[in-house]
Amino acid sequence: MIVDYTLIAESLPVMLKGIGITFQLLFISGFLGLILAIFLLLMRLSGKWYLSFPAQVYIYIFRGTPILVQIFIIYYGLPQFGFIRSSIFWPILREPMGCAIVALSLNTGAYVSEILRGGVLAVGKGLIEAGSALGMSAYQKFVYITAPIATRIALPAYSNDVISLLKSTALASTITIADMTGIARTIVANTYAPYEIFISLAIVYLIFTFILQKSFGYLEQYLGRYTKREE
Amino acid sequence: MAALNGWWDDYFWGAFVIFQVFFCSLGFMIIFGLLGAIAKLSGNKVAHRVANAYTVAFRGTPEILVILLMYFGAAIFLTSVAQIFNPEAKFIDIPPFWAGTIAISLIVGSYATETFRGAFLGVNPGSIEAAKALGMSDVQTFIYIRIPEMWRIALPPFGNHMLSLIKDTALISIIGLNETMFVAKQAITVTGKPFTMYIVVGAIYLGFSTVVTLSVMGLEKFGERTTVGAK
Repeated sequence: MIVDYTLIAESLPVMLKGIGITFQLLFISGFLGLILAIFLLLMRLSGKWYLSFPAQVYIYIFRGTPILVQIFIIYYGLPQFGFIRSSIFWPILREPMGCAIVALSLNTGAYVSEILRGGVLAVGKGLIEAGSALGMSAYQKFVYITAPIATRIALPAYSNDVISLLKSTALASTITIADMTGIARTIVANTYAPYEIFISLAIVYLIFTFILQKSFGYLEQYLGRYTKREE
Repeated sequence: MAALNGWWDDYFWGAFVIFQVFFCSLGFMIIFGLLGAIAKLSGNKVAHRVANAYTVAFRGTPEILVILLMYFGAAIFLTSVAQIFNPEAKFIDIPPFWAGTIAISLIVGSYATETFRGAFLGVNPGSIEAAKALGMSDVQTFIYIRIPEMWRIALPPFGNHMLSLIKDTALISIIGLNETMFVAKQAITVTGKPFTMYIVVGAIYLGFSTVVTLSVMGLEKFGERTTVGAK
């Protein structure tokens, strides 16, 4: 096996052109997914069955099926129906990029909502009782007591989910999107040098994972700055 | 639903392929995870470094890249090896089934490494001292004390790893494994009903996930049967 370094040097800049798309997928669907997750969380915490039951079913379905199937259902499946093609969502669902963002947001929303719920359930009961004793309303208790502490508790698990979202963006290449993986697959199809291309791309992804992990680590330290005990 | 007539048996065999991949990769995943955990806990510096590199690399790269690399990379490797012995040799590739199975078990095995490591560390040191006091050898302690105690600790996260395995089998369809995704693709070219076909795939995966989740719950109960009274 001879490693073709010139090929790596030539194709790495080409692959990195897809970085913008990868980041768009990551940030837009990460943001939309977080909003969806908060909605699902509030539905589950509402205590009303007609709100919490649909949220539970949604989470069950989206966590129980592969993200690839979800992407395919949205991209290939939805245009089967005429009413979708004539609806206002069609400009989004017509584009592979829109479909990928919708699929990734819907998927990550289900996972993140469970993570946030874990955080909310881990908030000490005493703190909420203290809030009640101070005469805080349910809304105030949630915003000023539960939410900040739950955010801090859920952050490590959330960072793992952001990393798995980054890895899922690579699946967008299956619906013709030219993200980094999509470009790499085209190059491999032309040059037939899977080792050089895929391993160098894997290293690029590893660097991003590392950066994400480090930045979440700093965020965790920052949010936990009051919890450190003075010695 | 009428469009599905005549495709049920194809879906059944597709589901059977998922089951086979799941079963084989589960075995490999446990082996990789145990090897990784033992390497990390062995105290041997080289083994620890190798295991660390393994977990970092496989947890940080997209699953689809690993699968593509395993499939195309193995083909190139085997072809070049074959050409050493027989210069006439043409293209040799490994079946997508094995390329995919090894790829997903390596990926999920890297997560399992951390789970198993944590679970081994969670074994009560008192139990191990007791085993030593009884004159048990290291191997005996490992089989009769460490393993029975650690699997109970490892079970809940291990259940999640099994779910990832099931869901990752969908990705193997990208390299041409004829599981349900592949069946759906064929069915769509004939019937032109992508939504219906992919929904069936989703339902099959949901069924698998449900079975796995329920069996893990059952196993957890089974594992707790001797500790319930002790609490």
